[in-house]
Amino acid sequence: MDNNQKRFIADALDLLNDLDEGLMQLETNPKASAPLEQVFRTMHTIKGGANMFGFAPIGEMAHQLEALFDLVRQGKMQVTDALISVTLQAFDKVRDLLKEKEESKINNAAALKDHLNAAAELVVQHAQADAGMEAVGTTRKDELATYFIRVTPTVPVTGDGNHQLVFIMLDLEALGTAHTRAFQKENNEILHWHQFLATTTSPAEIESFFLFVDHECKYEVTRLSPGNILEDEAFLQCTTAFNENRISWQELMDAAGASAEKLKARETEELGIDDQNASVAKKKSVNDAIIKVSKRKIDDLLNWISELIILQAQLVNVSEASNNVALNGVSEQLEMITNRLRDTSLEIGLVPIETLVTKFKRLVRDLSKSLNKKVNFLSEGADTEMDKDVIEMMAEPMIHLIRNAIDHGIGLPGERKASGKSEYGTVKLKAFNSSTYVNIIISDDGKGIDKDAVLRKAIEKGLTSADAQLTDEEILNLIFHPGLSTAAKVSDVSGRGVGMDAVKQKIYELRGSISIKSEKGKGTSFHIKLPLSRSIIEGMLVSVAETRYVVPLNAIERIDRIPYEALDRQDKVNKTVVVNEQPLPVLSIRKQFHHEENPPKTTDIISVLVNGMRKGIAVDRIEGKMQTVLKPLGDAYQKQDFISGSTILGNGKLALVLDPSRLFSFNHM
Amino acid sequence: MKRENESQAYLTFALGAEKFAITVESVQEIVELDQVTKVPNAPEYMLGIINLRGKVLPLLDTRLKLGLPKTEITKKSRIMVLDIEAGDDKNVQIGALVDVAKEVIQLQPEEIQEAPDFENYKTQAPITGLVNNQGDITMIMDIARIFNTSEILHLEQSVI
Repeated sequence: MDNNQKRFIADALDLLNDLDEGLMQLETNPKASAPLEQVFRTMHTIKGGANMFGFAPIGEMAHQLEALFDLVRQGKMQVTDALISVTLQAFDKVRDLLKEKEESKINNAAALKDHLNAAAELVVQHAQADAGMEAVGTTRKDELATYFIRVTPTVPVTGDGNHQLVFIMLDLEALGTAHTRAFQKENNEILHWHQFLATTTSPAEIESFFLFVDHECKYEVTRLSPGNILEDEAFLQCTTAFNENRISWQELMDAAGASAEKLKARETEELGIDDQNASVAKKKSVNDAIIKVSKRKIDDLLNWISELIILQAQLVNVSEASNNVALNGVSEQLEMITNRLRDTSLEIGLVPIETLVTKFKRLVRDLSKSLNKKVNFLSEGADTEMDKDVIEMMAEPMIHLIRNAIDHGIGLPGERKASGKSEYGTVKLKAFNSSTYVNIIISDDGKGIDKDAVLRKAIEKGLTSADAQLTDEEILNLIFHPGLSTAAKVSDVSGRGVGMDAVKQKIYELRGSISIKSEKGKGTSFHIKLPLSRSIIEGMLVSVAETRYVVPLNAIERIDRIPYEALDRQDKVNKTVVVNEQPLPVLSIRKQFHHEENPPKTTDIISVLVNGMRKGIAVDRIEGKMQTVLKPLGDAYQKQDFISGSTILGNGKLALVLDPSRLFSFNHM
Repeated sequence: MKRENESQAYLTFALGAEKFAITVESVQEIVELDQVTKVPNAPEYMLGIINLRGKVLPLLDTRLKLGLPKTEITKKSRIMVLDIEAGDDKNVQIGALVDVAKEVIQLQPEEIQEAPDFENYKTQAPITGLVNNQGDITMIMDIARIFNTSEILHLEQSVI
């Protein structure tokens, strides 16, 4: 495939995401025009590109569906569940095809045949149903007027969530000229919306938008004046003042009246200006400051900067040894600039997790449908940024968690009602930054994890002894143990793909951590913490004989110093040692990998949590905490996967970065 | 390896008493032996990792890899930094420890003779030819075949 084709595929995959989003909006709001236009436009782009770059079958598929949506646009056809489902499935197939490596496989017309037939079927059905019917068309014969719409949700809704209300507000905007302001609580939940809308749609029709969300919000639609007074700058200032509580309702109404007068006077002079075009143009220009850069270039840049950081650390060493004041000054300056450069360049490679959120919305939609559950998906902080690779690697584990939440956590509507909850379950994704970490919390308001069942199962499988006194946290952590599934029966949903141990493994590979909170009857929440960068790590530098090792800080629970002889009591490499008055299985790096003479008098035990169990790594000495650049070991050392890489210290020497969980599994502990 | 009618440049080096040559295209540079950090649990011929101006490279003992006795480190020991193709457009850099790195020579294709079978070298015939300069024999080695074994091919996923 040539570069143009590759670029088309990359673009098309992005477009397919947008398309999913648009189709889901359309599903919740079949009458909305904004998502309909977006869906239509996106399909058209895909069709054009596919035909141009030699992917005719995909072009054909897009063409068929585009034709269907054109009927909808003309008001000749209704948006139905069948239409949305056929379209989603067809483009799922297109997505799969585009992920193939060879052109001939992408152009597999046979793979799309069923979907083409399904689309054709819809056309036939439509033609039959439509035989006698008149075209519906959108009726817009009412007079142009300006309205004030105030909407107060009575259920938790976030601005970036998938609640219908969010889309309804957008749909209303599409009816004409609009100024919307969302008032949010600190946690991003919407208190209420104020929307000023100039439109020809009648108030009754505006209210009909809220038909299906009646029980989830309060709304009022007030007619302010005839005409579009939002064109009047003076009135716009009043709306802002009103939103900020600086003027009263009465003052706003007065201003509306005055603006309407002014407007009328002006209209007699010059005949109507179409304001709608201007607002469309404005919306389009938002994206123009973004350029696409290939991932490889960014990786190159980051590699060079990593080397600069290492070199800079060496410079500090040299200049400090030289006692040259001028050199020290320059070196300090350079350090400052290098750090800034590092921070800025790390940000370049970050992308918002929004793409994942769209995927999850889709997942929640499909899954709740197939399980007959009612699930509301809320997301918060979709603009939180993460490394693109990390986002891709996290997709699978997060999908697993969300799947679990819907499959096991949230009950059927009837069950939920019986336990006094709303029929709609909520799955919430919250992302935010804290220092050098990205936090992701996935929570549900479902049944919660049955700790007794987990414990019973763990004892049954011999993962823990019956008389062990485990804390709630330790019991919950048992679910990450491979070979423990509490699901009474393996369903299609939860039996597929990765298990909880794989989720944890993936997160650990990214040097992150995961913790669980769960309350029976109230729900479960998973807190994932990931480092912002894959190449910069925070770790504890330790030494064993002549070799330096780095233990990632995220794994460390505590550190104890004990006499070296404590490790000597039996002539075994790994064994239980009493640390902090508790028995701890300890692996001595010195005994395991180094056979040098002259052992130290004391040894430092680093306690880490592996698969929910506390284990110890014995090293000679702790050197200190450090932030450093992780370098891959190179191809020759793939069998030593308990070492995740190396890092260059300030003095130019190398240290090996340990992967604690692999270290223990490597040694069968 | 190219088999054109032009002369090609080769780097010669010594392992014990034997003289070898590899094409210069795969040699990035030659550096002196400095600090080596041993990686636990690796085969003996994998000596550890070295820091080449901010780049971390694995260091291999060429003699051990060829089934010869371990290299004794001397003042003349050198590291050949090699750039080896590892398929999929990917190149792998490694350091190969040799006893002495000698010189770059030009060889015409007709100067190179077929290599006989070498029973005493365990690796499967990395010697692709011989140059007999009045009894002074230089063995031409296919460097990719020595180091580009399975362990070099599938690594990327295990290193994060």
